[in-house]
Amino acid sequence: MSKINEVFEAVEKGKVKLVPGIVQAAIDAGDDPQEILNEGMIKAMDSVGAKFSTGEIFVPEMLIAARAMKGGVDVLKPHLAAGAAGAAGKVIIGTVAGDLHDIGKNLVAMMIESAGFEVIDLGVDVPKEKFIEAVEANPDTKIVACSALLTTTMPSLKETVAAINEASFRSNVKVMVGGAPITQEFADEIGADAYTVDAASAAKKAKELAA
Amino acid sequence: MLTKRENLLETMRGGNPDRFVNQYEFMHMMFHPFMLHNPKPDYKQENVVNAWGVTNSWPEGTPGGFPVHKPDTIVIKDIEHWKDYVKAPGLDFADAEWEPFIKEAESVDRKDQYVTTFVAPGLFEQCHHLGEIQNTLMNFYMYPDEMKELIKYLEEWEMKLAEGICTHIKPNAIFHHDDWGSQNSTFMKPEMFEEFYFDAYKNIYGYYHDHGVELVVHHSDSYAATLVPYMIDMGVNIWQGVMCSNNIPELIKKYGDKITFMGGIDSAKVDYPGWDRETIRREVRRACDENGKFSFIPNASQGLAMSTFPGVYEALSEEIAEYSKEVFK
Repeated sequence: MSKINEVFEAVEKGKVKLVPGIVQAAIDAGDDPQEILNEGMIKAMDSVGAKFSTGEIFVPEMLIAARAMKGGVDVLKPHLAAGAAGAAGKVIIGTVAGDLHDIGKNLVAMMIESAGFEVIDLGVDVPKEKFIEAVEANPDTKIVACSALLTTTMPSLKETVAAINEASFRSNVKVMVGGAPITQEFADEIGADAYTVDAASAAKKAKELAA
Repeated sequence: MLTKRENLLETMRGGNPDRFVNQYEFMHMMFHPFMLHNPKPDYKQENVVNAWGVTNSWPEGTPGGFPVHKPDTIVIKDIEHWKDYVKAPGLDFADAEWEPFIKEAESVDRKDQYVTTFVAPGLFEQCHHLGEIQNTLMNFYMYPDEMKELIKYLEEWEMKLAEGICTHIKPNAIFHHDDWGSQNSTFMKPEMFEEFYFDAYKNIYGYYHDHGVELVVHHSDSYAATLVPYMIDMGVNIWQGVMCSNNIPELIKKYGDKITFMGGIDSAKVDYPGWDRETIRREVRRACDENGKFSFIPNASQGLAMSTFPGVYEALSEEIAEYSKEVFK
């Protein structure tokens, strides 16, 4: 088995303790660091995402795989060209004002990061102004992702997307929304560019939007 | 006309109910002294630390309190040393503290309603309230022994709570909260649930059943269809909060002789700003038509006899009563 395949397998299975050593072994064996990242780790997380979407694996397996990848990226980073780890682009993410739920948002952040993006996580209970400020401070942002888990915070999501839609930078960014009560219809109604049902499809959609 | 209790039993046994069981009508919900010693946020109140050291907030416009997990507020800073951080609150209450609850229980007509004690959070919830959910879910893989020790510690505390409740209040039902999934999936695979939580729940629910509790009502407003065999085995009589994503008609067909399903109306579909009666009527009729008269209790998935927006719970009850008149002629 090639070292890159070993990286793939170890990340996919969430071997947190083993991944750094396997990545180092791949580097020592002369594998291209960019290829280790793309073919070994990002592809492994694509596979994890697909298995999560079909119900083959659950949140703990996804979390542990992402943790394993993080350990591998730490080893790989000094060998990559500057910015290569987040080469797919910059994503700003947060749960909207009034909503303290973070797991869905965190899973999306993790899967998007694992897909090769740089993620700026604004946390939970994020006022719309903070989303705007974050994009203004990061003019190279490609995607703003907003989450709401409660029916009671859907209006807050609507206000947040409305504020982004009115901002001068709007044509430079795509807006993604998600959360348990959110539907494609609601996303269309409030003027978001994309809605996805889970973290894995969010990462897939982010790649499409940033392409 | 059957009493609420009789009608529930006929519904659960597949006998001759004379109407749909109307949401929580068969339960007289009661609390217990520990809840008076366990601070929780009121509406719009933030950063209230409870008896376990967990910080909770209840922001404006949301349905209830919620743990706040920032690095400095997570109770378990290091799962390998969880014993240094988790200190179970005391459960020795003076007789005077039990007295109002005993009196309340005595005032209930048990031929009509079940004296039901509310217990929350459950074991899984307590784990992630103390340790934060992502840490908790990863710890099942990274620190399984420590997680098992922690769950055992929480189980022992719950057993002591159960002993106090059964000795003093003598409930004939408990309403036990523990969310085991999201809308479309369980939080963990069934085998993992079995490994970490099944025995603990079998012990706790077994204790209640051995000490006068006839009905264990377990709340999980989520998908949890794959956990139903475990629920039955651990002694759950009614699963409250069953969401439509579970394919309830199929569950009733497969397990209806062993467990009753309470829910079938997803709260998010009826309980929202500017809710309307027509949607509620439609949802009630759909739920009753799809799931039938037996082993099913129409109810919004949210826990407890309440709604986020005023009037929704009452409107649901009225529509269920109204539709009962048509179905049970």
